[in-house]
Order: sequence, then C-alpha cells, then structure tokens
Amino acid sequence: MKKEYLARSLVILFILVAVTIPFAGQWLSGRNQPAAIELHARMPENGGWSPDTIQAEVSQPIHLHITSDDVVHGFAIGKSDQPALEIIPGEFIETTLIFDKPGKYTFYCNRWCGPNHWRMRGTIEVSGTGTPLALDPQPLFLKLGIDIDAPQPAKTIPSKTTSAERGAQFAGLLPAYAKNRDTYLSTSPENLWLRLRAEATLSNLSDNDLWDAVTWIWLQQTTMDALANGQKLFANNCAACHGETGKGDGVMVRGLPVWNPGLHSSGDSPHLSTGEGFVSPPDFTDPKNMLGASPALLEGKIIRGGMGTGMPYWGPIFTAKQIEDIVSYIYTFVWGFSNQE
Amino acid sequence: MAPQTCRRPDKSMESKALNNATKRLWKRWGWIFLFAVSLLLILFTPLPIPSNSPADRNIRIEASMFQFSPGELKVNQGDRVTIELVSTDVVHGFSLDGYNFELKADPGQTATGTFIADKSGVFRFRCSVACGNLHPFMIGKLKVGPNLLLLRSIALSLLAVIAALVSLRMFPDQQSRYIK
Repeated sequence: MKKEYLARSLVILFILVAVTIPFAGQWLSGRNQPAAIELHARMPENGGWSPDTIQAEVSQPIHLHITSDDVVHGFAIGKSDQPALEIIPGEFIETTLIFDKPGKYTFYCNRWCGPNHWRMRGTIEVSGTGTPLALDPQPLFLKLGIDIDAPQPAKTIPSKTTSAERGAQFAGLLPAYAKNRDTYLSTSPENLWLRLRAEATLSNLSDNDLWDAVTWIWLQQTTMDALANGQKLFANNCAACHGETGKGDGVMVRGLPVWNPGLHSSGDSPHLSTGEGFVSPPDFTDPKNMLGASPALLEGKIIRGGMGTGMPYWGPIFTAKQIEDIVSYIYTFVWGFSNQE
Repeated sequence: MAPQTCRRPDKSMESKALNNATKRLWKRWGWIFLFAVSLLLILFTPLPIPSNSPADRNIRIEASMFQFSPGELKVNQGDRVTIELVSTDVVHGFSLDGYNFELKADPGQTATGTFIADKSGVFRFRCSVACGNLHPFMIGKLKVGPNLLLLRSIALSLLAVIAALVSLRMFPDQQSRYIK
C-alpha cells in the first residue's frame, strides 16, 4: 500500500511539473523583455500611423515594432538627429527609443507616400521628472510682426543674372549694417537693395553692381555645407511639390491652379484632406517671387505653413538650423548660383 | 588524281545509270532536301541587322500607381540607355530583367542610371519596391533590336504552308499508292 501511494504522488508531481514548465518559461521570458509597441504605418488616406500617440516615461526605453501595411514609409523623429528608418511593407523593423527629457515629441514619415504624406505624423508623450524639453524661441517673423500670409512681390528686380563673385569686389564699399546678420534676417533683398541705392557713397555703382553686392551679402551669411544640407533637405521634403529645380512644378502639384496672391484667403474654412483648394507653389526661380521675401518671412512660412496653399507646417520637424539651411538654399534658385561644382 | 580522270570514260555507262538513279532520287527527295536546307537557313542565318552606330538615349519614365509611362521602350542593340525615373506618388523602383540594372525613385527625387543595351531581345522591367496592392502588375517592356524570333517564326510558318502545298502537288496519289 505504501508503494502505491508513492507511485500516485509521483504521477501527480510529474503532471504538476509538466504543467508548470511552459507557464514558468513564459513568465521568465516576459519578465526580461518589456512589452513592445506594434506600430503600423499606412498612407494618410488609410489612417496614417496606428497608434498615433505613444506614451513613454523619461529614461524608460520604448520598444517599437514598426511595419508598413501598404507602401514604403519612413520613421523619423522631429528635431532629432536620430537616423530615419525605412519601413518596407511586409517587414518588421525593431527600434528602441529612450527619451531623457519629458515633453511632446513628433514622429513622422519621411518618405513621400502620397499627396497627403506630410499629414502622417504622430506624437510621443514623454512624462516624468527632469528638465522639460526646451521650448523654441519665438520665431523672428512673430517678433517682427511680419504677415506671412500677405503676398510679398518684389517690384525692383535685377535685369540680369547676379553674381556673388562680381559682388565681392564691392564688399569694402558696403556700410556696416549691410553685412550685419540681423539686417540679413529681417530685410528682403529688394529692401536692402533700395536702402543701399539710397546711400550716397554707393551712387557710382550701377543697379546691377548693387544687385551683385546684395547677392554677395546673402551668400556671405551661409556656408557651402549649409547649402549642401539645405539642398538635401529640400530634395527630401520639398521637391515633391516645389519641384527639383524650385520652379513649383513638383509631381504632387500637377494640375493644381497656379499660386496667385489674389486667390489668397486665410479666413476660409480649412481645406479638406483631399487637397481641395490647394494651389501649386510659386516659382522660386522668379526674382519677383523671391526678392521681396526676407529670411524671417521664409522661415515663418516653413515653420507655420498654411497661407491657404496646402503648405505643411514644418515647425515640429525641422530644427532652427535646418530651416536656416533650407532658407539659404531657396535663395540660391534666384541668385542663379549652383552648388554643383 | 590523274589516273582517276583517265578511267572516267570507261565508267561512262555506269555513271549514266548512276545519274539516272540520282535523278530519280532527286525527284523524290529533292523537295524535302530543299525544305530542310531552307528550314536550317531560317533558323540559323544571322540576319543582316542594320547596324546603326550606338546612340545615347535619354528616356524619362514616369512611375505612378501602378504603371510606367511609357510602358514600352524600344532601343537598338548597343545603345547607351539613360533612364530617368520620376515617381509621381509613392516610392517606386525600376528593375530590368536580364540586365543588372536597378533604380529607386522617391517623389521629388529623380533617379538616373545608365546601362548599355548589349543583349538583344525583349526584356521585362518591373517595379521593385512594394507600392500597393496592384504592385505585382506594375510592369513594362524593353525591346532591344529587331524582334528576330518573331521574324523567324513568320518565315517558318510560311515555309510550312509552302511545304504543305508542294507535297499536295508532288504526291497527289501517295496515299492510294501506299494502300496498293
């Protein structure tokens, strides 16, 4: 009898062990790996990011499993130097993010995935203690009170292609304010030219000489590296609408009416996501469109977007330096200056 | 060699009989021989291709969901083909079967690539980046040089028709003869 009890209890023990092993294994493996968030990317017409809000804690890693449900997308985080990921349909990409400052971060798709590509954005809300994410300083266009919705056509334009090299020889004649960075940021090329024209000391220069000098001033305010960076950013983010050559003939805006300041209407109801009411962007190679705009104005247009044209807002995406590089690059369309040596 | 030529007159009778035999043989098998030779000619003659000097070709292809435009390209053999791939909606690719040639274009960023069309024939090109549910059907054709296969097959079928007509003419009673 004693032996039978032993046998029965042994059987029960084995059954219990057999049942416990898988549960214990699951518990052990689950303890080591924190829960991963599965992030699906879809074209904005089909829902965009899902989920589009991710909660996180300061200095707690978040594991993302990202996949695409339709076309090639990208995953990037605004205002960060984290390299963008390519999200290919049918493949899962794993990434781990750690944020050390609480605040709201924007993640976005960085590959064109349709006309509404730029709407494909989501937020990561990082809570916890620590110094919060530094707020951006107030953009210059707000400080100066520039109305970025109003058209700024230039009335005075150069009669021939300007050249910074020719302009460099007049550098010594220019007054100090002309080479000042604040003047550059807040003044349109046209206004600076008019101001310089009014200078008595420059009266012996011809109109085109003065334009060359303005070109030189504008290129003095940037570097080759900044222009190359601006060119790259422009190609990745802007050229699909503004055109690779800045003519406003990008593939996404085909068949849309040409931008016309008279059409401007900022008080109207918001545009639908179908693109109704959108216009094709102005031609950056036309001096009339460009020379009336100051760098502060262009920066405002990039940060806020809108203007009743369908221009996206890039404020949460680009850093101030990136926007500065893009603005410098946009001016080179009209200066007839090419970065390709 | 000389003795043989000397002996020829002696064998003239023999050769005459042989000649008659060949004639009969020729009458029966000549047509078949002719057709066989022309068949081989059609299959294996290197056709005199108008050899124009290799040109530089610049082809701009617009890729949209789910087509290439133009979808059919024609170049001559030996041409230097430069493809400019423009995407108008999402990321598209261009991969050419038979050639080791791949392009990938984002909207707003034209991709350019060059290859030398040294192989003749018809090649498919397809989108190499998944671009939506009809992506597998996004294909196009590259024709390099004249379509020799088509020309040869047309000639072959003509030959078959002629051979059928001739065989009817030459051996109208063949079937009845075999039955006898």
